[in-house]
Amino acid sequence: MVTRIAVVTAGLREPSSTRMLADRLEASVREELARAGGEVESAFVELRPVGHAIIDAMLSGFPAEPLEEAFGKVAAADGVIAVTPAFNASFSGLFKAFFDVLPEDTLADMPVLIGATGGTERHSLVLEHALRPMFSYLHAIVSPRGVYAATDDFGSRESGAALGERIGRAAADYARLVQGCGPHRRRDSFTEDVAAMERMLRSGSS
Amino acid sequence: MSGMQFGIFTVGDVTPDPTTNREPTEAERIRDTVAIARKVEEVGLDVFATGEHHNPPFVPSSPTTLLGYVAALTERIILSTSTTLITTNDPVKIAEDFSVLQHLADGRTDVMLGRGNTGPVYPWFGQDIRQAIPLTVEHYGLLRRLWREEVVDWEGKLRTPLQSFTLAPRPLDGIPPFVWHGSIRTPEIAELAAYYGDGYFANHIFWPSSHTRTMIELYRKRFEHYGHGTREAAIVGLGGQVFIRPNSQDAVREFRPYFDNAPVYGHGPSLEDFSSMTPLTVGSPQQVIEKTLGFREYAGDYQRQLFLVDHAGLPLKTVLEQLDLLGGEVVPVLRKEFAVGRSPDAPDAPTHQSLLRARDEGTGTEPQPQQAPQTPED
Repeated sequence: MVTRIAVVTAGLREPSSTRMLADRLEASVREELARAGGEVESAFVELRPVGHAIIDAMLSGFPAEPLEEAFGKVAAADGVIAVTPAFNASFSGLFKAFFDVLPEDTLADMPVLIGATGGTERHSLVLEHALRPMFSYLHAIVSPRGVYAATDDFGSRESGAALGERIGRAAADYARLVQGCGPHRRRDSFTEDVAAMERMLRSGSS
Repeated sequence: MSGMQFGIFTVGDVTPDPTTNREPTEAERIRDTVAIARKVEEVGLDVFATGEHHNPPFVPSSPTTLLGYVAALTERIILSTSTTLITTNDPVKIAEDFSVLQHLADGRTDVMLGRGNTGPVYPWFGQDIRQAIPLTVEHYGLLRRLWREEVVDWEGKLRTPLQSFTLAPRPLDGIPPFVWHGSIRTPEIAELAAYYGDGYFANHIFWPSSHTRTMIELYRKRFEHYGHGTREAAIVGLGGQVFIRPNSQDAVREFRPYFDNAPVYGHGPSLEDFSSMTPLTVGSPQQVIEKTLGFREYAGDYQRQLFLVDHAGLPLKTVLEQLDLLGGEVVPVLRKEFAVGRSPDAPDAPTHQSLLRARDEGTGTEPQPQQAPQTPED
């Protein structure tokens, strides 16, 4: 069975530690699912290239084509890995803005693995007080273990190994969650709205 | 009049001209709107439609007052709305206003109903925006009966009941004004239009054409599902937005400041991006003709094309020049080209005369939605 993973990453620079964390989470999840006999197809959604389109969508009410493609990748996934840099004690504005314009219900019942990066480990709770509540609000199923990586984690050998372990454990948890949830069913709110309208018309008119 | 109607729809915004910072007074804007409506007739277009808004910076809070006045100054054009708020207006008052207008305009009127999406307006009229769809369904169900039944006994959930109510005056010749249902993005409105076999007008101008295609396909499919005729027999209208100059570079240069500062989409996507994603055409008459003819590729053969030409602070003189170009160079070609290859099943745009003729010849298909099949086909 093929599991489709969408990786949303809000890093701004090149190379980006946020993207590096996203890559390692994706590789680890892929490995875990492969071990269980599954196959993984991953699609990366980098937010920087669609930054202007995200703001335009907020102002005009509809997404330009590249952003619509990004929405499509997320909507078609069975699981989402979402990674942001920590800015001012929260996720980055770009990261939040993407989920603000993502069509409602896209993430409902979606297994999500959260990750964040920052200059120091003092920001690590951003996972718990910013990312987790937002995804819970969106009715996503947020994996219990998120991964926070500080600059230090990419430096020394010891902390690098520790990060590797945290990634491995988070990926193992998340792989079990994705397997348990199975293929994500995409809601067709358009058809649902029309059906609800038909019911209302039939009961309302006499 | 051939199969299609062409005209303009105005939002009625009072917006400072961004190139001069000059803001017209409300009185000027209203007088300008009347001048625009008269020009629509003068240049040979078919329809003038006004929006309805109840808050600054808009002036058209009382559309039938405006249209009644325009009716007295014109002889040929159809007077319509874009849209009349079916949610916050009382259906009895809508029925009365449009009945009187019909008589005054000698049948040159129809109405486009919409929900209205300005939240604060609802409580000003004692309504609740969270009830927008149920209000639309209930109010419209009542409005239909008021125009069709001599004596109405009615009870609903969102309005006081009516007992032995008779609308006065009765609709002209006993023919209710033709109803369009207009929406930007709500599939429920396409379903409503299909259910009753009414016209469906896709605003079209604020969203990508892929979205308009989806909505019109839904409407046509459901129109057939409810037994009103084939998909081709459904009545479709589209919005459009143009700025025309003989030379396309001049059009872009002149329109850009208005686009960049426009209410609704200003300060967002570039003029170029917006033009490629939506029906907006800023260019020569030929470019407008080509883009407009392209609408048929996803809307099918349709009945009404309305353009937005008078918003975002454009001065009256410019708007009148736009109408000269539309009436003189664009629409005559569109009429000719749209007629080429038009499906014989595509109805002509409805008018009071055509509805009257259909009734007298017994070919009128007054919709009977209750008899439609109960099982959705998909």
